[in-house]
Amino acid sequence: MSSSAVEAEAPDLVCQLDNVQGMVDALSAVRWKRHQDAVVELSEHGVVLIVEDTGCLQAKVYLQRELFVRYEYHAEGRPRFGVSLGLFVDCLNSFSAPGRSSMIEIQYPGPDMQLLIKSVDSLDACIYAEIRTRIPDTISWDYNFEPAGSTPLTFTVKSAALKEAIDDLEWPGSSIQINLQPDPPCITFKGEGHGDLQIDFTYYVNTDLVIAFHCDCQVSYRYKYKFLRATTSNLPSSVIKDNRGSKLTIGRGGMLKVQHLVSVARSATSHPHIDFAGHQQPSRIAYIEFFVKSEVDE
Amino acid sequence: MKFKAFLTEHGVNLLERRFLPALDKMGKICHLFLTRDHAIFLHNLLNGDGVQCIAQFRNEALFDDYRISSQNEDRIAFAIDVSLLFRAVRSSVSICTEFGNGPSANRLQIKLVKKLPLNCTQPMPFLTFETKGYKSAVIQDVPISKPLSRAQVLELQTALELAQDIPQTLVQVPDLNQLQNFVERMKQVGDLLNVSISKYGDLHVQISTTLITLGAEFRKLLVIGEHAEAPSDDRNQSAQTRSERAISRGDAQRVQVSVKHFSRSLHCHLAKPDCTFYGIAPQGSCLTVIFQFFIPGTHQTDKSISLHCRLPVLDPGSS
Repeated sequence: MSSSAVEAEAPDLVCQLDNVQGMVDALSAVRWKRHQDAVVELSEHGVVLIVEDTGCLQAKVYLQRELFVRYEYHAEGRPRFGVSLGLFVDCLNSFSAPGRSSMIEIQYPGPDMQLLIKSVDSLDACIYAEIRTRIPDTISWDYNFEPAGSTPLTFTVKSAALKEAIDDLEWPGSSIQINLQPDPPCITFKGEGHGDLQIDFTYYVNTDLVIAFHCDCQVSYRYKYKFLRATTSNLPSSVIKDNRGSKLTIGRGGMLKVQHLVSVARSATSHPHIDFAGHQQPSRIAYIEFFVKSEVDE
Repeated sequence: MKFKAFLTEHGVNLLERRFLPALDKMGKICHLFLTRDHAIFLHNLLNGDGVQCIAQFRNEALFDDYRISSQNEDRIAFAIDVSLLFRAVRSSVSICTEFGNGPSANRLQIKLVKKLPLNCTQPMPFLTFETKGYKSAVIQDVPISKPLSRAQVLELQTALELAQDIPQTLVQVPDLNQLQNFVERMKQVGDLLNVSISKYGDLHVQISTTLITLGAEFRKLLVIGEHAEAPSDDRNQSAQTRSERAISRGDAQRVQVSVKHFSRSLHCHLAKPDCTFYGIAPQGSCLTVIFQFFIPGTHQTDKSISLHCRLPVLDPGSS
């Protein structure tokens, strides 16, 4: 039907989303400081946004294609571009109006390699944006996460409890030790600085907080507080409200992986007359991953 | 120089629930200009780089038993802190409703007085609110500036007359809350807002920096004044192209204003206007927002109340 010339001009990605606030929430979760450069990678499976800090902390937001109402991918390979995360989030936020869901279309690239966003749900009122993109920097540090041994060292706690614990550790500050021991199964966060603070999550005692625990040998690693804090500092309120859990895994060399789930589902009340999916699909979740490098003991 | 009046119930409602909350957002200090027929609240008319805001009431809209006299044709003007005025009115209202008894008991009197405050040798001017309850009377003194001199009043009067020019084309914004919501979020992205208004009924606001362009276009709005048919071939264009074309045809004007000013002017919706119109003054001298109020229960303009804002233009643009 279409000539090859037209096909060559088709943008790498045109996608539509009906829950802007969910996307804002997911992207805000990896916003831990004012100016952050992000790399966005597009593929047929979805959109991944990556941010990084001083070779010690990396965060990824996975927006799978299932989150989008429409997802048209035309590129070969995996196109990447750089964008200011703050600007991207603030801009997306302009499309989200409280009390009503708004449909947006995202396109990359525009005629000048911009990221184009526009609202598509009203003919007589249109919001549009063009964000300048950059050629992305190469990721300075390889975050290949490998399991530490044959059994994974992992535990899942309520996101709210994790955030609270990490917030409380601000007082001792600087360096936080995370200790996992199998018998009795227990996770300990310990801060030593301006005074000491130790927070224990004992598996059998805090069953409502600790949902899962796998550990066959005692391990202990230290992490810089500011990086640990970044993993929960901007956790969207919907995560707490939905009473979700966060999964933490310690890999080879003590690398800590923190995973959160953020709902990008259309809110049930906002659009009762339109019913695309019929019910809230379980797949309408954005996956957030943080990788924190452990501190090397001198 | 004398001023004394009673605030009517309607007047109290207008001030306490609607206008003072809106005016409070426009800036801390305003001028209150009282004449034989009108009471006018003026923001930034004499010292002018902020948003000019003019709220004018016919005396009957606020007061009864209105008495004013001065050697300057019965005109009195002074500067007053809006938030203090707001607080005084609010607490007077609460006293009235708490202790009020009978039709005349809960009347709120307002008058201009000179008093000698504690630790002062010079008497100072105040606007005094007197509420007579069942057994008690509460008096609140709101400090005001020295009344403006004859020359200053003339200056204020001239500025007020100059601020009355009406744009040739006005478009009606149907949903002020939606616009305010958008502009509040837009503020994060940049400082300068391009506003273009066309005779076709298009309102286009846009922030453009080196990194981002973010805009909103509202089309097919009600037009008052000069209007024109939108060319049909514009329909499939982008908002930006449409604006450019309309400007080059002479069917639209564009000005640049501060996003902060624009957002501040939107706070006037606290006054609960029935309609809001945006227009660009001749020669692109300012962006004008006119709020219209209906007589309750009708669609007729209440001519005893008027409110409008004038936003200074930062760049004359392509008018």
